[in-house]
Amino acid sequence: MNPLLDQLAVAAMVCGAVAFFIVRFLRKRAAGKSCAGGCGCGTSKAAKPGRP
Amino acid sequence: MAGADPGVTRHVAIAGNPNCGKSTIFNALTGLRQKVGNYPGVTVEKKTGRFFGSHGEPMELLDLPGSYSLQVRSPDEAVARDVLLGRLPGTPRPDVIICVVDASNLERNLYLVAQMLELQIPVVVALNMVDVAEKNGAVIDLMALREKLGVPVIPTVATKGGGFIELRQAVSRSPLPPPPVCAQMPIVLEREVMALAKQLPVAPEVARGEALLLLTLHDEALDAITQHDRTIIDATRSAQQRLTASGIDPLSAPVDARYDWIGQVCAAALHKGGAHDATSISDQLDGWLTHRIWGWVAFVGMMALMFFCIFTVAQYPMDWIDAAKTALANWTKAHVPAGDLQSLLADGIIGGVGGVVIFLPQILILFFFLGILEDTGYMARAAFIMDRLMSKVGLHGKSFVPLLSSFACAIPGIMATRTIENRKDRLVTILVAPLMSCSARLPVYVVMIALMLPAASAWEQSGIMLAMYLTGLIAAFVMAWIFKKTLLRGDTPMLLLEMPPYRLPSWRGIAQRMWERGLLFLRRAGTVILALSIVLWALLTFPKPTHSDATPSEALSHSIGGRMGHAIEPLIAPLGYDWKIGIGLVGSFAAREVFVSTMGQVYNIEDADETSEPLREQMRAEKRADGTAVFTPLVCLGLMVFYVLAMQCISTVAIVRRETNSWFWPLFQIAYMTGLAWIGAFVVYQGGRLLGFQ
Repeated sequence: MNPLLDQLAVAAMVCGAVAFFIVRFLRKRAAGKSCAGGCGCGTSKAAKPGRP
Repeated sequence: MAGADPGVTRHVAIAGNPNCGKSTIFNALTGLRQKVGNYPGVTVEKKTGRFFGSHGEPMELLDLPGSYSLQVRSPDEAVARDVLLGRLPGTPRPDVIICVVDASNLERNLYLVAQMLELQIPVVVALNMVDVAEKNGAVIDLMALREKLGVPVIPTVATKGGGFIELRQAVSRSPLPPPPVCAQMPIVLEREVMALAKQLPVAPEVARGEALLLLTLHDEALDAITQHDRTIIDATRSAQQRLTASGIDPLSAPVDARYDWIGQVCAAALHKGGAHDATSISDQLDGWLTHRIWGWVAFVGMMALMFFCIFTVAQYPMDWIDAAKTALANWTKAHVPAGDLQSLLADGIIGGVGGVVIFLPQILILFFFLGILEDTGYMARAAFIMDRLMSKVGLHGKSFVPLLSSFACAIPGIMATRTIENRKDRLVTILVAPLMSCSARLPVYVVMIALMLPAASAWEQSGIMLAMYLTGLIAAFVMAWIFKKTLLRGDTPMLLLEMPPYRLPSWRGIAQRMWERGLLFLRRAGTVILALSIVLWALLTFPKPTHSDATPSEALSHSIGGRMGHAIEPLIAPLGYDWKIGIGLVGSFAAREVFVSTMGQVYNIEDADETSEPLREQMRAEKRADGTAVFTPLVCLGLMVFYVLAMQCISTVAIVRRETNSWFWPLFQIAYMTGLAWIGAFVVYQGGRLLGFQ
């Protein structure tokens, strides 16, 4: 394999793995409250429980 | 209302007391169309599923945690209450409630029904276990019950699938009228409830139920409320004072009113007959299974069987997974040209993810047994038997299953803590569970024992191994006791248990639970573990040495992981470790068993595992600058103690993060366990030297 391709593939996977954690962290931060289930519920602090 | 999913015509919640057959009905209605997650902000499991009404209309079914009333005692009950009141963001208030009632225990179950009827949500009562009630000699007049409750009542036998067609029809009925208010509150109380309801900033249909709940809260509970402004709390207190002044206890009056109503319902609809065989068989079995001697014999026997299966039966599929992992890694090495990509795919990803997936059979077998123990009703008896021992360190009887499970793997053990209602007890159990020696520690123990006592008999080696298991067990109990006295201070909880009658397990339900757990575990392995494996591989690979003929050991030393090994050398020097052991510690931070293969890399031994003789010889021959051996018996013993007490498992960290819903607890756990491990290894090494050992 072309060494450049080899390096690029590795770099893409490592960056992808790091990006995975960054995106997870940012998504939870943006949601405003940590949701444990990883269910992507987008829980927001702005939502007042019980309000119509 | 059916807002979240445009295809869903109704949101239906299943509520009921614990052990009334809710989950069996949920599983039967939804089949495998289920989603398991957590409610936001808490560690209570959220199970939803799609089912279809009698005309094929799609509906979403939500399995609420079991609760005895809406006056909550546990996080599970709080979730059930909050969903029904529409307080929980991301979970729509249900359009219909299927309230599952245990027909063999009608009076007690009707209390929750009374509260459900007050919520002004259409209710369909699933009168479950009518067969057991009949066996017990109880005759339930369905017509009278329907008339008294004012809502549809469908008799069901969930374990045999009886009554589900009628239940679907009842839930599909359109429009479902809101239920009548059944329990008549005293007029003065009702007036205060309505006045308070008007002030509440909630939807009108929820207001009465919410106001009634607020008025029945005592002072401390009112102070703890966060979802309302202070003005509402003050208004509640004023209303409570006015009620007290007029001779009505606001806390007990609604309860009395509901029990009066339950009395009327039972008088009209429930006719108790003579003796009941089912209970007497349960009682007879309890005579043996909770006996102070035979109870222990049965308990130890059952646990021995469970662990025998986890360690032996699981070994076959584990070997298959291991063989598949090796074959895949070899295939990758054969088809991907040598280079970083090959190393990342074969060693990083396949090795990393495969090393975690290999525990899947153990997890499935564990949940198979847990399912049987729960379904048959034995779990409550086991908790009762263990409570006396566990309470000595301030733990709950229910903590024993998670701790026991952690001997196989801390991950299912920590997941099993979900059965513990009390938050502090659950946290203490989670914090100490990884101190149990899991199977991943075995490779480290095997190598160290072989280095420490090369000529030892099998009995001597087993004795040291047993001592390591006991060290972990004692450390767990001591730490639990310390946590209960300091950080998570709380009374030793009194064990309040409902002893459900013994039943045959629902095999379908158990299979579904195993499927859910397996899927959750694999999803984690495919996401977080995969990403972690890649990052860890990069840390142990980059930067590369400048000269191309560097040995794997030199390359490792040059990597970030290797430099970290050098960096921590001053910290680990008092334990008798050099920088090479430091690399092993850093490399095995993600998974303990990686220590052996990392040491293999350090000493240039290909395909090193715990049985690898060249690795042992190399380690035995390793010398310090002054010519003395590195792996002395004391260093080996210290290393074993270190691995008994240290966290060194990123999967456990991830699962603790998930289960505690915060980063504080997993980070605290890493800190305290690493500290404890360091102290343990230090005491062994330095103490041993002081005593003249080497």
